Amino acid sequence: MAMAGSLPTQSVGGRSFGRAAEDDFQRLSFTGSGSEYFGIWIVNILLTIITLGIYSAWAKVRRNRYFYGNTILLGRGFEYHARGGQILVGRLIVFAYLVIYNVTLTFVPLVGLGLGLLMLCFVPWLVARGLRFSARVTSYRNVRFDFAGRAGGAFLAFIVGPVLAALTLGILTPLASRWSYRYIGNNLRYGQKAFSTNPALGEIYRSWALSAAILVLGLLIVGFVVFLVTSLVGGLTDDVDVASLGSHLSAIVLIALGYVLVLAIFGVAALIYGAGVRNVAWSAATFDGRHRLLSDLSRLRYTGIALSNFVVTIVTLGLMRPWAAVRMARYVNEHTGIRFEGDVGEIFSQIDQEGSAVGAEFMDIEGFDFGF
Amino acid sequence: MASDGPAIASGEWYPPGSGRSIIASLAERGGRLIVRDESGGELAGSMLPSIEISSRVGRVARRITFPDGSTFETAENDAIDRFLAGKGRVREGIVHRLERFHPRLIAFVAATILLGVLIYRFALPLMVEVAVAFTPPVVPRIMSASTLETMDRTLLGDSKLDEARRGRIVEGFRRVAALSGRGEAGYTLNFREGGPLGPNAFALPDGTLILTDELVDLAGEDTEMIVGVLAHEIGHVEHEHSLRQIYRAAGLTALIMLVAGDIGSGAEDVLVQGGGLLALSYSRSAEAEADRHSVELMLKAGLDPGALGRFFQLLETKLDDRSETSILSTHPGTPERRKAIADWIGKARKRLE
Repeated sequence: MAMAGSLPTQSVGGRSFGRAAEDDFQRLSFTGSGSEYFGIWIVNILLTIITLGIYSAWAKVRRNRYFYGNTILLGRGFEYHARGGQILVGRLIVFAYLVIYNVTLTFVPLVGLGLGLLMLCFVPWLVARGLRFSARVTSYRNVRFDFAGRAGGAFLAFIVGPVLAALTLGILTPLASRWSYRYIGNNLRYGQKAFSTNPALGEIYRSWALSAAILVLGLLIVGFVVFLVTSLVGGLTDDVDVASLGSHLSAIVLIALGYVLVLAIFGVAALIYGAGVRNVAWSAATFDGRHRLLSDLSRLRYTGIALSNFVVTIVTLGLMRPWAAVRMARYVNEHTGIRFEGDVGEIFSQIDQEGSAVGAEFMDIEGFDFGF
Repeated sequence: MASDGPAIASGEWYPPGSGRSIIASLAERGGRLIVRDESGGELAGSMLPSIEISSRVGRVARRITFPDGSTFETAENDAIDRFLAGKGRVREGIVHRLERFHPRLIAFVAATILLGVLIYRFALPLMVEVAVAFTPPVVPRIMSASTLETMDRTLLGDSKLDEARRGRIVEGFRRVAALSGRGEAGYTLNFREGGPLGPNAFALPDGTLILTDELVDLAGEDTEMIVGVLAHEIGHVEHEHSLRQIYRAAGLTALIMLVAGDIGSGAEDVLVQGGGLLALSYSRSAEAEADRHSVELMLKAGLDPGALGRFFQLLETKLDDRSETSILSTHPGTPERRKAIADWIGKARKRLE
């Protein structure tokens, strides 16, 4: 039973205010298994290939129903309600646009560029629509989520933020993260009740500092090694004229190795940062103004799981991917929770579906998938 | 009053749009499917066809939605499956039955890998050929015109070669172009200053060839060598290499996107990078094909088929380009190309004898 770990309400009352013990939180759990998901996964891929990609929309529905349905809070799972047809229509539109865009970009570059810019203007609107779709097709205890964000907020969070972060070489990344978490966290609804979050910039920067240090230190080390090796090899070929073939070969291997190393450093820094920001933003969030949310991922463990998952997936040519996906879902769920203030049964019996969230979903299409 | 059948499954019932659940069970009553609470009272009910029963995914709880919007949820998947089978609705669970952990999945893995390889080896090249065949000639023309315009604006400058020099090159060029598949009218030769591109020659898909002053200077008085290089560029046009490359890259990206949702973003990146490496290998084989075309065209025109080889030798000595072929290069290594050219000349001569 997923109630395990909760304390009787009386003991909570005895505590003074301040940071409550983690045991007060109802944690999510994940009940799926790698072997069970393996079947869903391989049938998804096989049917997608056989149907020339059309099944991929239904594949997404089955995958999400599996992961949402096995995400358990207080003994009940989440549900994913999207239909294959809706997702297929959205994908066909995106696909048609990409074809037209690439064709014009190749054959009439200037018109293509114009089309790209035009698209860029629509991105915030599409992101807001996509988030709303994702929220509305998700339910817990028969009540749907909803998303009230508009294009303006999406523009700030997903266009201005990343651009600003890139222009300042990552120094303003925490600001961008704060915008995007606030955009999502403050616009998410469950039934008629709202979520809200206001992650402190200072805390995000504390988490950012570690990633920045890893990035700078890592790149310095790689740069130093590259410098050392090239001067070493250079010295060798100056003396001996025959070494050209060998040095060419080793130079190529070194370039490839350096490339992989730099990517790995960026990957690790991004994973650590992502986990840190998630912790800050979720732990600063509340539901209905009272119930606090929690995320306490260990940044090291999270990064380790992500990296080993990646390696295992590559080494087994993808066959262990289902196991890896389940492993990650389990870890993330078990480090996500919510602390209900008051009687849980009473809280949920007061939550009703907001009228607009149902029905409207059927007019909607998925659009771009950004996910939470 | 009809009596209730035995409970089909037990679970929880939610009124429409409410998060408040009631412990309930599913049963049949007089041909209708109903949800009853613990005391036997009917909470919801309807004829089976108007009830929506979610399909089975693993052990995820089943959702049964009644026309009034209320929902019955149960974890007893097998019981629901048995009930549906009893109603002759066996086929609804077919995808789930395929997905169950079973030795059959090994066959699915094998089939997936086999299909993937077949698509890459046969379907993709076939699709590229079909796309090339159905591309109207106006497409490469527009493409080339806009590329030349863009390059003229950004990289290339006006040629500073004197008329006599140009005349000699054009004359040699006409001899080989006249013998090519598209004929002399199929090609236009443009002289430009290469700027950052340096000594270079390239072909646009509609038969527009561009030759830089720097390459002409590098060749010195050896006009035949330049003609050999131009014959190589004609080879690219005749084999429609640029169109093929565009379609191939697009097709490969589409293939990766097809399975992308299920392999994780890291693995997807690796696939995309791998696709890039494969595209390079394709580019190397295209270069070799164009080299060979140069040899054959020069022979037909009664010129020295080794002219292109001389050009590569010149590159080796003057620019010290001794690069080996590697999986990271767009062109084969220069020494290797010279050797291949010598081989083709030998073979072509033997054929003529």
